[in-house]
Amino acid sequence: MILLMPLLIALLGAFVVLGFRNPRVATRAALLIGGLEIASLVVIVWQVHERGALQVGRYLRVDGLSSFFLINIAFISGLVLVYASGYLRHTGEGRFSSPRWFYALVFLFLFTMISVCLSANLGLLWIMMEGTTLASALLVGFYNTEGAVEAGWKYLMVCTVGIAFALFGTIVLYLAAVKAGMNPAAALDWVSLMDAVPRIGLDPHLVKLAFLFVIVGYGTKIGFVPMHSWLPDAHAEAPTPISALLSAVLLNCAMYAVMRYDAIVSRATGSGFPHTLLLIFGLLSMVVAGLLILVQSNLKRLMAYSSVEHMGIIAIGLGLGGPLGLFGALLHTFNHSVAKSLLFFSAGNVRHNFGTLRMDSISGMTRTMPQTSAALVVGSLAIVGLPPFSLFISEFAILSEAFAQARFLVVGLFLVMLSVVFGGFAYHLLRLLCGDPQSAPANGKLLSSEYSVMGIAGVCLLFFGARIPHIFTIILQEAMAVLR
Amino acid sequence: MGLVEIATGKVLSSFSVFLFLTILLLVVARRISTSVLLFSVQSAIIAAEVFATGFRERLAEAYVVGALILAIKVVAIPRAFFGLVDHLKTSRDVKASTTPTQSVFIAAAMIYLSYAAVHSYGQSVHVPEDALAASVALILTGAFLMVSRNKALMQMLGLLVLENGIFLAALTTTFGMPLVIEIGVFFDVLIGLLLMGIFAFRIRDTFDHLDVSKLRRLRG
Repeated sequence: MILLMPLLIALLGAFVVLGFRNPRVATRAALLIGGLEIASLVVIVWQVHERGALQVGRYLRVDGLSSFFLINIAFISGLVLVYASGYLRHTGEGRFSSPRWFYALVFLFLFTMISVCLSANLGLLWIMMEGTTLASALLVGFYNTEGAVEAGWKYLMVCTVGIAFALFGTIVLYLAAVKAGMNPAAALDWVSLMDAVPRIGLDPHLVKLAFLFVIVGYGTKIGFVPMHSWLPDAHAEAPTPISALLSAVLLNCAMYAVMRYDAIVSRATGSGFPHTLLLIFGLLSMVVAGLLILVQSNLKRLMAYSSVEHMGIIAIGLGLGGPLGLFGALLHTFNHSVAKSLLFFSAGNVRHNFGTLRMDSISGMTRTMPQTSAALVVGSLAIVGLPPFSLFISEFAILSEAFAQARFLVVGLFLVMLSVVFGGFAYHLLRLLCGDPQSAPANGKLLSSEYSVMGIAGVCLLFFGARIPHIFTIILQEAMAVLR
Repeated sequence: MGLVEIATGKVLSSFSVFLFLTILLLVVARRISTSVLLFSVQSAIIAAEVFATGFRERLAEAYVVGALILAIKVVAIPRAFFGLVDHLKTSRDVKASTTPTQSVFIAAAMIYLSYAAVHSYGQSVHVPEDALAASVALILTGAFLMVSRNKALMQMLGLLVLENGIFLAALTTTFGMPLVIEIGVFFDVLIGLLLMGIFAFRIRDTFDHLDVSKLRRLRG
């Protein structure tokens, strides 16, 4: 029953928030519901840690891997809700674009993402993954400007078509399982699939075809190059809390789906084919996004391309496999989420205070907005993978795995792109932060809601860089155990 | 042999031909309303096939799915489309970026390609090659409509055709997925269309046209 709690809270919460016309009341209600939601997720994670996997009915199940991603959802959504409570203070009343609609859609969005992690059935996983697109499309188009409408339309079309391919892949895998003699009712159930696959011998051609479609389909949502076209637009035009949710939670949920399929396909055909595909998509995303980072002129688009690059890094970790590669990939999903939320929160402050995100019209930020500048510096140092921040550890783990497997092409490209991205971030940041201020910010002071979440994210990055908490390591190992 | 059995056999043996016909007509249609009508016919053919399969394989679930298709894809969605065309007060032209002649040749090439693609798989999974080829051709046609028609409404229709293709693939290879999943997919399609409708209104209000090929502000 406990599994139903976060789903019910999110779903009912969405309708409750919609009932409050007063923005202040709606905000307080949203924070309260968000608190309940996070508490219920924490209880689930704790139960899984204590007792192992939980299952409700045929369609809902949570195990080590899902519980690891639930931690990610709980932590980031908490930060985002608190940040949004200050960020939305100037938003007016419009159709689908008032604070109450914002929170209602955010809770629906959370509902779909939590369902993705909780579903035991690959068909339900697909339905909920498509649901994430539908729940967030109106949030991407929230501001109703030309750019937001275009980004929303593009997001809706590209992701729906992309994910249609994932449905095709799901059907092909189902076909392979049914043909090999599995009971049709259980052939989409991924636990039964994992158990049955080594015994019954699926048709390897069909399984490979299925994985190809799935990685293209869910890869569209992850933002793998060349299916990434929606990602920078959606991230740049959405309200900042949503950019953070998209980048730090949604992309990880899609990655989670690919991890599940990768585990099944690796058991059926050996890990060669799926891992090679993951490596190709990972390296391609890293190289293309890394180069595009150099030429960006909009701060949030810069962050968006950096997300593509980091999804590439995670895919490389998965593609390398092995204990360190998998450890690095999983740890990196969490670390990247924290660092990217911090960066988007700072970008949101920049937008509020200067009214623009164009980097060539802002300079001398260290003098006018010292706190936001500090957050930008911490976030950027973390995101380019410098010690003592936590992303260094996960990237180092992935790199060590690549060295251990003597994949020198991967190592070479990885290191070159990390330096390119470092150069890109340094170039853009120095121009933003140094020099004489071109224009004064509207209001340099931060709200307590803003600097508290930025402080928490920054401290978390440093803390995880110095020492990963013991309980977190154990949960991570439980997640890795599911994938083997 | 009873009349129903004969009808079932005819439907199953001939529906691919009718589907290919709708594909060829869809790519040359010049008006949005014609395309919507063709989509409705196409969905009706697929619904007939679902009923026929359900009858032959004795699957009670198939009747539910078939009824859903009839209600949603043959009646509700086309009606909603006609309503949208009226409300948006846009021109009725599909704004094709290929001439009808080119479109027919491309469609023919796609049908040929579909047969080539399914040839090796068709024998290994023991399904009628025509049906599988028709589903792949529908997917390709949907994608083609989405990239070559500039009207927002036609892109939505392309998506629906593509979805029809995927549904048909599931039907011909595995007699469809479990009912709960099938209904969930339908639900997603409906909500998706609703949202696209909202965005179509927003595009018209913000840009004063529905030509999505002119949405080019966000680059790089």
